[in-house]
Amino acid sequence: MSGAPGGVIQGGWEFVIAAYVASAVILLGYAFSVFWRYRRARSRRDGAR
Amino acid sequence: MGKGVWPFVVAGFGIALLVWGSTWGLAFAPREAYMGEVQRIMYVHVPTAWNTMLVLTFAFVCALVSLLRGGWTWDARLEAAIEAGVVLSALVCMQGSIWARPTWGVWWDWDPRLTTTAVLLFAFGGILALRQFVDDPVKRAVWSSVAVVIAYVDVPLVYFSVRWWNSLHQLQSTPETVSRAFHWPLRINAFGVLFLLIGLVELRARLAFLRREAESAPPPVRVAEALGGAPPPYGGLATGGKR
Repeated sequence: MSGAPGGVIQGGWEFVIAAYVASAVILLGYAFSVFWRYRRARSRRDGAR
Repeated sequence: MGKGVWPFVVAGFGIALLVWGSTWGLAFAPREAYMGEVQRIMYVHVPTAWNTMLVLTFAFVCALVSLLRGGWTWDARLEAAIEAGVVLSALVCMQGSIWARPTWGVWWDWDPRLTTTAVLLFAFGGILALRQFVDDPVKRAVWSSVAVVIAYVDVPLVYFSVRWWNSLHQLQSTPETVSRAFHWPLRINAFGVLFLLIGLVELRARLAFLRREAESAPPPVRVAEALGGAPPPYGGLATGGKR
């Protein structure tokens, strides 16, 4: 990534990829965490009955 | 489709929209004239920011209803909305930091927009921690609702910070200030995050409710009742403790 005359940013794909990977990891990680905790709580409740 | 399945379907639809919108934004949307490729971060950053505001506003509504009406359903929704809001606030700070490095030359700056967003993250993160530490479910419901109402003051501050103070961060974009070529990936991802959020908040609320059932304590009292007012009806839920 570098700046060019005229203030136009050249390159920068590494930042774009980092932002998308961070978003995917956090959103999917949180989704997985909620699904997993919900399934565990339900099986615990069903086991207690 | 069973009643219990819809959050999974809605969350799955949200993920599909996010894949579609992100592919469009990364591969097919044109490069921006000044920021070049780096502007593509907008397609994930702006939808995350919008939905952060939205879910924290939902938390505020849940807190008010929980305080005024009592009952565990709104308390469970409150817990779900706070947690989702903390996750999205952390993500929006991370995305913003990654975007700031190539455009501003720094990873972080104590600029009004960034500072108020960081305050949001720590305030709601603190409330989430508070809920973990309070064992009494009635106190937990009332205290966290009051804390959310207070912390919510920061949400309009985040929104208006770029207008009220000098900020490195740009003003809010509108359809008039954003090229039409950028609209669709932005909108698709905004709805993608929204649908994912709806599914996750519902599941997280069910999880909070299951935990509450396991604690098997009476529902939280309304503020008026706690202060010595008339006992309210609880819509079929058993009440206990002193009146």
